[in-house]
Amino acid sequence: MITCEEFFAEFADYLENQVSPEVRKELELHLAECRACHVLYDSSCKTVKIVTESRSFELPQDVTGPIVDRVIEKLRTERG
Amino acid sequence: MSIFRKVQLNDEFAPFAAFRESLGFVPNLLQAQTLLPRVIEAQAMLESAVRLREGSISRLQKERILLSVAADRQDNYCVSMDSKILSSLGLSDAQIDDLLAGNSNAALPAAELACLQFCLNLSRNAPSVSSQDIDALRACGFGDESIFEAVFLTAFAVYRCTLSAGLGADLEFEPRMLAPKIMDQPGRVAPHGSLPHAHEAAQRKGPYLPAPYLSPIAFTPFAIVEKSHGFIPNFFRSQTLRPDLLEAEMEAVGRILLPEDALTRVQKECILLAVSAANLNSYCVAMHCNLLRGLGLPSEEGDQVAVDHHESKLPESDKALLDFAVKLGTRPSEFSREDVPKLKALGFTEEQILEGVVVTALNNFANTLQMGLGIEPDFAPPPGFEENKVHLSGAAPAPMQREGAVHLVDILQDTDAELVAQAQAGQLEAFEELVRKHSQLIYRALVAMLGNPADAQDAMQDAFLSAFKHIGGFQGRSKFSTWLVSISRNTALQRLRARKNVESLDEGEYDEEGDLRPHQLRAWDDNPEQCCSKSEIRQLVEKGILQLPAKYRVVVMLRDIEQLSTDEVARQLELSVPAVKVRLLRGRLMLREWLSPHFAANLRRTAP
Repeated sequence: MITCEEFFAEFADYLENQVSPEVRKELELHLAECRACHVLYDSSCKTVKIVTESRSFELPQDVTGPIVDRVIEKLRTERG
Repeated sequence: MSIFRKVQLNDEFAPFAAFRESLGFVPNLLQAQTLLPRVIEAQAMLESAVRLREGSISRLQKERILLSVAADRQDNYCVSMDSKILSSLGLSDAQIDDLLAGNSNAALPAAELACLQFCLNLSRNAPSVSSQDIDALRACGFGDESIFEAVFLTAFAVYRCTLSAGLGADLEFEPRMLAPKIMDQPGRVAPHGSLPHAHEAAQRKGPYLPAPYLSPIAFTPFAIVEKSHGFIPNFFRSQTLRPDLLEAEMEAVGRILLPEDALTRVQKECILLAVSAANLNSYCVAMHCNLLRGLGLPSEEGDQVAVDHHESKLPESDKALLDFAVKLGTRPSEFSREDVPKLKALGFTEEQILEGVVVTALNNFANTLQMGLGIEPDFAPPPGFEENKVHLSGAAPAPMQREGAVHLVDILQDTDAELVAQAQAGQLEAFEELVRKHSQLIYRALVAMLGNPADAQDAMQDAFLSAFKHIGGFQGRSKFSTWLVSISRNTALQRLRARKNVESLDEGEYDEEGDLRPHQLRAWDDNPEQCCSKSEIRQLVEKGILQLPAKYRVVVMLRDIEQLSTDEVARQLELSVPAVKVRLLRGRLMLREWLSPHFAANLRRTAP
C-alpha cells in the first residue's frame, strides 16, 4: 500500500478529479485503510463544496449599478 | 562532411566507449554532436535502453523496425547503418533488400508484419493511430509491454532520422538502394500532418496502455521532474509500464532540455511548441505553452507561437530559429546544410544550432510517443488551437488553404469581441455593457488582491476608468475578461504600493515555504452546511478567505468563488497551471483548517 506521503503527493489532483484510474485505485486503497488521510480527504472535499457554494463576495446590483453609472458619467463629462 | 565542427573527446567518454564495445565503432551520427557531449549522452541512454538492451521484443525485430522506418523516411544514413547491423545479425542482402523495398510479406510471420506496419503507420501518420490499432496488435499476440516497446522504438527511430537529416552525418557504410517513395504529398515526409476524421478522433481516447502507479518517492526521476516542473506530466506518468525505458528517457530529456550552455530554456521550449504545433500535436502544444508561461513568457506570446510564430513578438533571430526547426521537424527532405549558415549569420553559434537540431529531434520523439500511447492532456491547448488546427500548420493537407499570417486575434472567438470593437471605436454604451457584464469578476479580483472589500469597491472605479483609457491598446490576443483582470491587477498594485505594505502577489512560481501538513484531523459532520445558516457560512468563508496570504487568496477567489477553470485562472494571473494548482491546494488546505473548528463533529459550535 502507498504511504501517507505518497497519498499527499497526489492529493491536489485527486481533489480535482484528475488522476488516472491506476492512481485512483491506489489512493482509494489507502483511504480505506488510513483514517487520518480519510478525514483530510473528506473534510477537504467538504471545504471546497462549502466555499464554492457560499456565494461569497457577491456584489449586489444596487452597489455595482451606481459605481458603473458614476464611471460612465465621468467619461461622458470628460468627453464633453 | 558533417555540418557541425567536431571536437576530440576523451577516449574514456563513456557513451563512446559503450558504442565501441557494442558495435565495434562510434557511429558518425554521434560523432557529429561532439560540440555538446551531453546530447550524445542523451542519445546513448535512449539507444542503449531501447535498442541494445534485451527487451520484450527481439533484437532482430527491433532492428527490422528501425530499418523500415528509416527506409520509409528515405534516410540514407540510418538505412546504411541499420542494414549493416542487420547483416551482422545474420540477415542476407536479399532479405535486407526485401525490407527496404517494403515487400517483406513472404519472409515475416504475420504477427511481426502487423507490428511493423503499425510502427510505419505511427512514424508516417501518428494522429491516425487509435486504440483499435493497439487492440489489433493485442489480437496478434503482443503483450502490452511489447506494444509499449514498439511505440518507444518507433519514436526513437523518428528521433534518429530527424537528427540524421539535421546533422548531415557521413555514411560509414556503402549507401543502399531505396525504393522511390510514393507519397500523398510530394516532398513531405512529415508523419504528423494529416488529421484524423472526427469519428477517428472520438476513438482516440487514451491512454491506450495501462500505466501502473509509480510513486515519486520510489522512482527518483519522478521526484526530480516534480521539483523542476512543479508536477509530473501525464506524458511521463503514462509510460510506467516500462520504468527502465522511462528512466532512460527522463534522463535524456533532462540532459537535452535543462542546461542553458547553448540555447536558453525559453528558446528550447519555443522550438518544442512550434514544431509540435506544426505536427498538430495538441497535447505537446498545451504542455509547452504552460512551461513557457512558467518560464515567464506572457501567455498570449506562447499562444501566438502555437498558431504562427512569425506574428509573435519574439526577436527576428528566434523566429528564424523556429523556421529552421519547423522545417527540419516536418519537412526534412527540404532541409539542407545551407540552412545552417543562415542561422550563423543571425548570430547563433554552432553549439546553439546543433542544440536546435537535437531539440527538434527530441520533439518528434515526444510527439510520436504521445500519439502512439494516446497520452491524455494535462492542460487545455491554447484557445482556438484545436478548432483551427487544420489551417494552422503550413504542412497540413489543409482543407482550408492557409492565407498569409495567422493572428491569434482572428481565431480566439471571444464572445465580447463585438462589444470591444464598438467600445474601441468610442461607443460608451458598448463599454458600459462590458463593464456591467464583468463587474462581479473585477470586484472579486480586487477584493482578493487588496484583501479588503471596502477598498475593492473603491478601486473598481479606478479600474474601469483605466480600462477605458487603455482599451485602444487591447489587441484581442487574450480574452477581454483576462485583459480586464490584468488592468485590475495594475490598479490594485498601485494602491498597494501607496499603502507601502505590498503583499507579494506573485513571487516565485513554485513556492514551498510553510507547512502544508494538516493539523486539524477530527472528522467533519456528514452535512456540515446544515449546522449554520447560509449567511453565517458566507461570513465564515469570506473571513477565512480574507485571512489567506494574497497569492493564495487570489487563486482561491478566481477558481473556487468565481469558478473559473484552472487554465483560465493561470492565464489571468500569468502563471503556469501547475503553479496555480500548488497555490490552490495551499489555499484550500488553509481554509480547511479555518473551517474545521466550526464543522468538526462532536464539537460545540462556535458562532462565526
